[in-house]
Amino acid sequence: MPDRAECEAVVRQLWPFVDGIVSESQREFIVRHLEQCAPCADHFDFARSFLEAVAEAKPYFDVDAGLSDRVMAALGQEGFGGGGGGAS
Amino acid sequence: MTLPPTDDQPQRSERDETFATTALPHLSTIVRVATALTGNAADTEDLVQETFLRAYRHWHTFQPGSDCKSWLATICRHTFAELRRRANRSIAVDDQELESLATARLHNTARAKGVDDMFARLDLGPAIATAIRALEPHYRDVVLLVDVDGFSYEEVASSLDIPVGTVRSRLYRARRQLQEALLDFAVDAGFAAASYTLPPDHHPGERRNA
Repeated sequence: MPDRAECEAVVRQLWPFVDGIVSESQREFIVRHLEQCAPCADHFDFARSFLEAVAEAKPYFDVDAGLSDRVMAALGQEGFGGGGGGAS
Repeated sequence: MTLPPTDDQPQRSERDETFATTALPHLSTIVRVATALTGNAADTEDLVQETFLRAYRHWHTFQPGSDCKSWLATICRHTFAELRRRANRSIAVDDQELESLATARLHNTARAKGVDDMFARLDLGPAIATAIRALEPHYRDVVLLVDVDGFSYEEVASSLDIPVGTVRSRLYRARRQLQEALLDFAVDAGFAAASYTLPPDHHPGERRNA
């Protein structure tokens, strides 16, 4: 049964684990721990939900249409897409 | 009658002799260089020691007649830069672990306030966008590139010309600031579930779905 020291060691690796940058042995250790420890597993689920929400916010950061048009127009003048400034 | 020297004895003693007469007289100069670099006595001593150890190990590369003081100062500067890089790496690792712990604590707070399921329950897109835009630029850039655009740490490090450890530190700090902002948003907006009263304490050993 995991103890508090093990929980802390596991939670310290929360972000590296969620980002997939821990070693294989660390990964196995953490996975085993999370299978037995609901509170730690909840912390990791919380972190994953957060990252999913942030990724889903991507449309809010799309460049504005005006800038996109200006870039494409400039590229068009350089011959991009057939040239002549007709890029859309 | 003296014993005949072994093969390496004469070479070693000559090396020691030239090192003692050429390099060691610059000790006080190198102490000043090291003090200027580190700014404190303890680190100065370590740096001076390491500088002379390296100089001794690589004494065969010193060109006799060239400026030994400059040669030693160069070793000192390079050694200091290397030690500082190592220290930054260990600080970065500590930072990352502390940020991970901070996220768990913030989750406990969110649970106590009844909003620990806010990411699944609420459409936080506009709030997330606002919170990201409010971050300091060096945090905002990293979180946008990694968590929104999906670049790897290495790609971001290369693009921004910063170490991978710095990418991670900034990213984890940014994530915590975002979580804090979103927690405040969810609570202020009245999304807390009033009857949600799970204790915030951690219970190791409790089986999931038991």
